[in-house]
Amino acid sequence: MAGVITPAQPVSIVVNGVSKAFGPVQALVDIHLTVRAGEFLSLIGPSGCGKTTLLKTIAGLVPADAGRIMVGDRNVTGPGRECSVVFQDFALLPWTTVQKNVEFGLLPRGVPAAERAELARRFIGKVGLGGFEEAYPAQLSGGMQQRVGLARALAVSPQVLLMDEPFASIDEQTRRLFQDDLLSLWSEERKTVVLVTHSMEEAIYLSDRVVVLSPRPGRMHQIIDIPLPRPREAGDVRATAQFAQLVDGLWKILKVLQ
Amino acid sequence: MILGLRAGSFVAFLLLWEWAARVPISFNFPTPWATFTALIDLIQSGAILGATLTSLQSLLLGFGSAVIAGVPLGLVMGVVRPIGRVGRVYLDLLIALPTAALIPLVILSFGINIISSAVIVFVFGAPFVTLNAYGGVRDVRPRLLEMARSFDVSWRQLFVHVVLPGAMPMVLAGIRYGLSRAFVGLIVAELLLSPFGLGRLIMMSRSMFEHDRMFAVVVWTLLLASTALAALARMEVRLLRWRA
Amino acid sequence: MTPPTVGETGFDQSDLGRSGLAAIAGLLVAWEGLGWLDISMFVPPVSDIAVAWWHLIGNGTLWNAGASSLVSLAKGFLPAAVLGVLIGLAMGRFAAVRHLLDVWVNVLMSAPLSALVPVLIALFGVRDTVVAATVFLFSFFVIVVNTVTGVRGTDRSLVEMARSFGIGEAALFVRVYLPAALPAVMLGLRMGAVQAVKGLVVGEMLISLVGLGERLIYYGNTFLLKELYAVIFSVLLVALLFSQVFQAADRALIRWK
Repeated sequence: MAGVITPAQPVSIVVNGVSKAFGPVQALVDIHLTVRAGEFLSLIGPSGCGKTTLLKTIAGLVPADAGRIMVGDRNVTGPGRECSVVFQDFALLPWTTVQKNVEFGLLPRGVPAAERAELARRFIGKVGLGGFEEAYPAQLSGGMQQRVGLARALAVSPQVLLMDEPFASIDEQTRRLFQDDLLSLWSEERKTVVLVTHSMEEAIYLSDRVVVLSPRPGRMHQIIDIPLPRPREAGDVRATAQFAQLVDGLWKILKVLQ
Repeated sequence: MILGLRAGSFVAFLLLWEWAARVPISFNFPTPWATFTALIDLIQSGAILGATLTSLQSLLLGFGSAVIAGVPLGLVMGVVRPIGRVGRVYLDLLIALPTAALIPLVILSFGINIISSAVIVFVFGAPFVTLNAYGGVRDVRPRLLEMARSFDVSWRQLFVHVVLPGAMPMVLAGIRYGLSRAFVGLIVAELLLSPFGLGRLIMMSRSMFEHDRMFAVVVWTLLLASTALAALARMEVRLLRWRA
Repeated sequence: MTPPTVGETGFDQSDLGRSGLAAIAGLLVAWEGLGWLDISMFVPPVSDIAVAWWHLIGNGTLWNAGASSLVSLAKGFLPAAVLGVLIGLAMGRFAAVRHLLDVWVNVLMSAPLSALVPVLIALFGVRDTVVAATVFLFSFFVIVVNTVTGVRGTDRSLVEMARSFGIGEAALFVRVYLPAALPAVMLGLRMGAVQAVKGLVVGEMLISLVGLGERLIYYGNTFLLKELYAVIFSVLLVALLFSQVFQAADRALIRWK
């Protein structure tokens, strides 16, 4: 259906018995997971636990060997219009401007050029890069490049946002500001978010629930509820005792798995 | 300071040349001044410009075909893996062979005319253009392809917006290197074929023992080639401005 | 210097997979077929060419021509390698030397050096020395440029580390710069080897006195197609063998990388 971009309602994701092997290496075994519509969920675990693989199967970029994934009403067999991905290394097209990069996701949706440009400009403003429309990726810092990546992902009004360690290549100060911006953008337009991360603080700060995966082979280990109140970017959540307890609890779980 | 050194080395070169001519290393060695005056003479008489035009005709015909045929072929080879695997072998062998060895064969097949020299230019330039276009496609960052897939772009959009721009640096480098090879082929062909162009002028001057003329044409040819390649390199930089 | 474009480093047999060998076999079969169909006198069957080749080996023609070519190749390439590396090292290490020579080196590297062969003939006369000189010219500049890149690409932090231990300039050069530059030097020698064989053929064809190049001109002039193809094949063999030497040396020396 060409041309029309409507503000999207978030949908749920149901992962049902998914397994994936790469040759002799079993990346995921029998994963069952339900992500509620509009929920912010993090995937965490030591190297080799398959968290990125799981994200990619939800995105439809990697086919599962067994099991089924439903995103909303759709049975996932390939990449879909309701999902958007943000990559750890930004994956920006280096030969074109910020503006054109953000417009990229709108191309297959048959959005007319003028509307594409307008949408792109709006989201470039939303991620705080107003004025940088004509810059090239090489001229931007890592944090700014990832903002472009986020703008691109949001411009297509996805119902699901999938993020693969999006802040890993960014310095800590920039990362914290970015996390807050992400939360405020998310609260403006609710989407279902699945975020893969290595950082316990990040997982707890951002999410409603944290899923811990165990490595070799990748399995569901534990799901932790994060009852911290929202909006978290407004207050000083990281300084609270509850936050510290949650981090400590998560660490105890992860320590055993290392 | 850098400019001084460069200018200095140029002066030193001229002095060395002057000395070599006067020694004399060989009776056939003209002085820089004699070469320069011969060059002016050739330009004024129109001989060198006529020869240049003829040479450029062969070059344009041969190398133009090489680019028009080679770039799309290389791109197809890069996108369609089986064709790429097979084509790669043939191209590698073709490039390993000193292309000049094929010149007598071409002359036999096509005769002594501009077609022959154009074909020779083609054979010298096309393999590099093709192989680098192929390499350029293979060079595209896999992550960018994955990103494009995640947005569910069509094959056509993928090719136009990701593969083609991503391959561009190597395609352009291949064209530049192919042109330098094409020039080599052109000169060798004309030196051997003789009826045409700058090569003919060189051989003619030599056979008439007009060595100052011969040197003049050689210098002119080298300058011509260097200028063309430098111009290409400039264009390449401008087209690839996005590189940090 | 930009990284070598595809094709400049010579044919690597290890790249040849099963599909590669199949491709070559297929080509030979198709050629044989076309030859039998007698499509053109310019496409003789592979078997006839093989016979002619064998014949030329037997009567010594190819040995003589080949030997002469190999001698010229050595006479031209060895000085180019030694001088090229030395000058490249000097240019890489000392900015003054580099600025003095870089314009010449860069211009002449991509220039059609074949245009200089008549100049060489004017210098040396119509002799086989011209061939060695052509080989030298074709390979020298490539070796210099790669060596310079290798030296200049040495990791600054390594140099600083060595200096901090009080190491002298000479030892610094031998123990830090040289090993760091070695891969680039090897690459330059490989590319130089490829260019050397091209120079060999060009030179021999233009003076038309000795070697495989001369045979190419001769069989071309006398319309002996099968023999011409046989010599082309021999030239290819020489090119592949010469480049193989450097592939092997490259692999042996860079084991630590």
